[in-house]
Amino acid sequence: MTRRRMLDGLDAEIRDHIRRETEENIERGMAPEEARRAALRKFGSVTRVNEETREVWSWVWLEQLLRDARDALRMQWRNPGFTLVIVVTLALGIGMNTAIFSVAHAVLLKPLDYPNPDRLVWLADYDPNIKRDIVSLNDFYEWRDHAQSYAAMAAYGYQQATLSGPGYGSQVTGVAVAGDFWTLAGAQPAMGRLFAPGEQDAVVLAWDLFQREFSGDARIVGGSVFLDGRQATVAGVLPKNFRFQFPMWWVTIQPQPPAVYIPMPPRDAERWRIANVVAALRPGIGPGHALAELHALEERALRAGEPRPLGARPVKLRVEPLREKLVAEARPTLLVLLAAGGFVLLIACVNIASLLLARSAARQREIAIRMAVGGGGARVVRQLLFESLALAVAGGVAGVAFAAGAVRALIGLSPHAVPRLAEAGMDGDALAFAAAVAMGAAMLFGAGPALSLRRTHLQSALKEGARASAGSQRIRMRRLLVAVELALSIVLLAAAGLMVKSFWRMNARPPGFAPESVLTMKIRLAGPQYADRAACEAYVRELLLRLASTPGVQSAGLSNWFLFSGAPAFPADPSPDQTRVIRLNAASPNYLQAVGARLVKGRWLTDADPAGAVLLNESMARQAFGDADPIGRSLRVPQPVTVVGVVSDLKYAKLDAEPPPEVYVRYQQLPFLRGADVAVRIAGDPSVLAPVIRKRISDIDPSQPVYDMKTLEQALADSIAPRRFNLFLLGTFASAALLLAIVGVYGVIAYSVAERTREIGVRMALGARRGRVVGMVMREGMLIAAAGIAAGLAAALVLTRLMASLLYDVRPHDPLTFAVVAIVLAATALAASMGPALKAALVDPVVALRHE
Amino acid sequence: MSTRREENRIDLLQGTLDLLILRTLLARPAHGHAIAKTIERNSDDVLQVEQGSLYPALHRLVRRGWIAAEDGLSENNRRAKYYRLTSKGRKQLRAETTKWEKLAGAIARILRPVSGEVKP
Repeated sequence: MTRRRMLDGLDAEIRDHIRRETEENIERGMAPEEARRAALRKFGSVTRVNEETREVWSWVWLEQLLRDARDALRMQWRNPGFTLVIVVTLALGIGMNTAIFSVAHAVLLKPLDYPNPDRLVWLADYDPNIKRDIVSLNDFYEWRDHAQSYAAMAAYGYQQATLSGPGYGSQVTGVAVAGDFWTLAGAQPAMGRLFAPGEQDAVVLAWDLFQREFSGDARIVGGSVFLDGRQATVAGVLPKNFRFQFPMWWVTIQPQPPAVYIPMPPRDAERWRIANVVAALRPGIGPGHALAELHALEERALRAGEPRPLGARPVKLRVEPLREKLVAEARPTLLVLLAAGGFVLLIACVNIASLLLARSAARQREIAIRMAVGGGGARVVRQLLFESLALAVAGGVAGVAFAAGAVRALIGLSPHAVPRLAEAGMDGDALAFAAAVAMGAAMLFGAGPALSLRRTHLQSALKEGARASAGSQRIRMRRLLVAVELALSIVLLAAAGLMVKSFWRMNARPPGFAPESVLTMKIRLAGPQYADRAACEAYVRELLLRLASTPGVQSAGLSNWFLFSGAPAFPADPSPDQTRVIRLNAASPNYLQAVGARLVKGRWLTDADPAGAVLLNESMARQAFGDADPIGRSLRVPQPVTVVGVVSDLKYAKLDAEPPPEVYVRYQQLPFLRGADVAVRIAGDPSVLAPVIRKRISDIDPSQPVYDMKTLEQALADSIAPRRFNLFLLGTFASAALLLAIVGVYGVIAYSVAERTREIGVRMALGARRGRVVGMVMREGMLIAAAGIAAGLAAALVLTRLMASLLYDVRPHDPLTFAVVAIVLAATALAASMGPALKAALVDPVVALRHE
Repeated sequence: MSTRREENRIDLLQGTLDLLILRTLLARPAHGHAIAKTIERNSDDVLQVEQGSLYPALHRLVRRGWIAAEDGLSENNRRAKYYRLTSKGRKQLRAETTKWEKLAGAIARILRPVSGEVKP
């Protein structure tokens, strides 16, 4: 109350004071006007006294803050174009970073969406030959029965299934599960029940399938369906929000979420069966202890002389946190992307700082006046920081909107590129991050200009009158900023360039391969009518005949493969007992031609060949026989076979170096003929021929539809979806950086030309040719560019090494990429300074000189 | 233009101004202008307060409870805000004066030999 009373009287008090002083002066003989001026001078700045007095009553700072904020907003409003550029730039920077953060956060930091996520582990037996973690289903049963370290253990595996019943039949993506799967996944039935461990011939439906195939009709629960031709009870339905999030190696080939859950076969029913295994450790048990126990079990089985289910192979048991297994591969990618996002934001801040510096020149007079009438220096800085803050808040809000859209777009674009990507979104953490980034950015781009203005020299600024001068120091600062910006862009461009080149290398293909004119699809023969092999063979023969006679089809075949592991007696091996894993393919005569393999030596297989005739791929031929001619040689796999030809290596997935060693036998050799990959090389448009082929196949037996039909090109592209994701993001970041750099270079050069209009006018009046003026301006731009590019290349040489794991067949300091990037940026800088240079050349000396 | 005069003037430390105000009000309550005049007159114009800076100081002292403000009538029947010393302010003035005398004495002792050298 005292505050109120004191401050209410303040103005009157000050007025009274000045009147008394004036009266005294008049008494001393001054003229009234002079007396008042002297009194005012003696009193000092009324505004400041007022302010300082109010400050005594402390909360004043709050009032000032509000006033400054209002002023800041008004200032931005008065200059909408300028503000818009800054806000958009900021929104871009903050948005990209927030989007990447929310992805990285969801993938790397958030706990898994399961009960007790920290105790979940991945159990695996790594096979170096096929580079995959596998566990034999029998081993899983052994572990689950005897290992003490685990509170729960579950096995699961991908299983394509045919779901049929009266009036419907479809191929669905299924997951076969065993053990405590439901417990570990935290699943509760929405309807019915979840089948018990060990229960057979039951099925649990995912919500989507339940809606799609059964129209959400609850009467199906407890009823029966046919799964691959076997009757099974529909035990229950999973809730709508249930998500399968264990590691799924198959997502790249089969991206739909699992539609049905079916029981794994019981122990010893299918000894060759493999599975993925997850478990929950008992409280207090570490992964090391758990691993030791598995080793002990494995050794006991070996000592007992039990035949290993997958044959003798090197054992590399592993127990690792489930989260690690899920995200380990994604981590380097996300870290690189986070860094790239940071770079874009830095560039954006540098750009904005440069813009603000340019404007600060124009505002110098305004600031000088504020300081002259007694606005304290700190107050002016605060006001400027406020303006930055207002910009940052606007940019942050727009950035969050941008990020929300970007994350949704990313998830839509390639939902399986990164595990757990679907969990990303604008949650509280992402918002907090955006806010922090916005504040940090405000400090970053606001501090420089504010401090530079604070140093404003009062008298010189006022004296210079209307012509606001930037001063050489400020333009030097801006040039430096732009050079920094260019250097940052180079780093990003180099990273993106390396990714592009990797991608290009991945897509490199032998001439004539033409994957766009190969249609691939899958068949699965299900139902009692295919229980016997003769029926399957008849179906396959009919299929091949029909495909071959379809107009537009050049060659068609089918294939299936299985792993053979053992000692195939490679003559080139130093120790003949060495265990190998090879891929044993069974293919019909035209399959290899259809997918584009070339014959390197010998001849193709035909239907007339005996059972023991095989083809090798080049990798296999090299590993088995070294440099010797393999034609006519024999091999044990484990039956003795004779090599009749060698074909080129096929890349099934574009990723990761070595193709596996492969042996091709006749398809009649396949142990099971109930499923196969079909490949059809066609002439013409695949989208026209695809329905024709689909129809011809379903004509053989309408209950056996083909599925997964796509061009080989599409199949290969799907296999590198994660890399496409990286490339896309890094490319976006690099483009944003390039765009900002162009704006930056253009801004600083245009500004410097505007500053020098008079000087240019004088030069031209004195006879300088327009060409020289253009050269002069361009030289300025090029000098900045050269400095920035040189610094950027040096930084990129160091930094790109961190992304080595993301590259394919390209070294992190690939000279060609670096050269191209440098040229692109130099050309960009050249183009950006071209406009201002031409404008300089068009300066009319008369106008320029009169300007003053 | 005013630089010469400014050199001869002693800038007041904030605490000093507070002390002077308290001392001025010891005699009788006064309004702001009278306080400024008294300080100037009593210091032979050596201590020239930029008169405005008096007001933040007055408000500060009111806030601390060392002086109180009340409305009153001045000589020619004009309303004015009068400041008077409170008992808390009286105590403060005694403490500050003692402190100041000690400080002044110490500085004087340190400076004496120097003046001896300069003026032989």
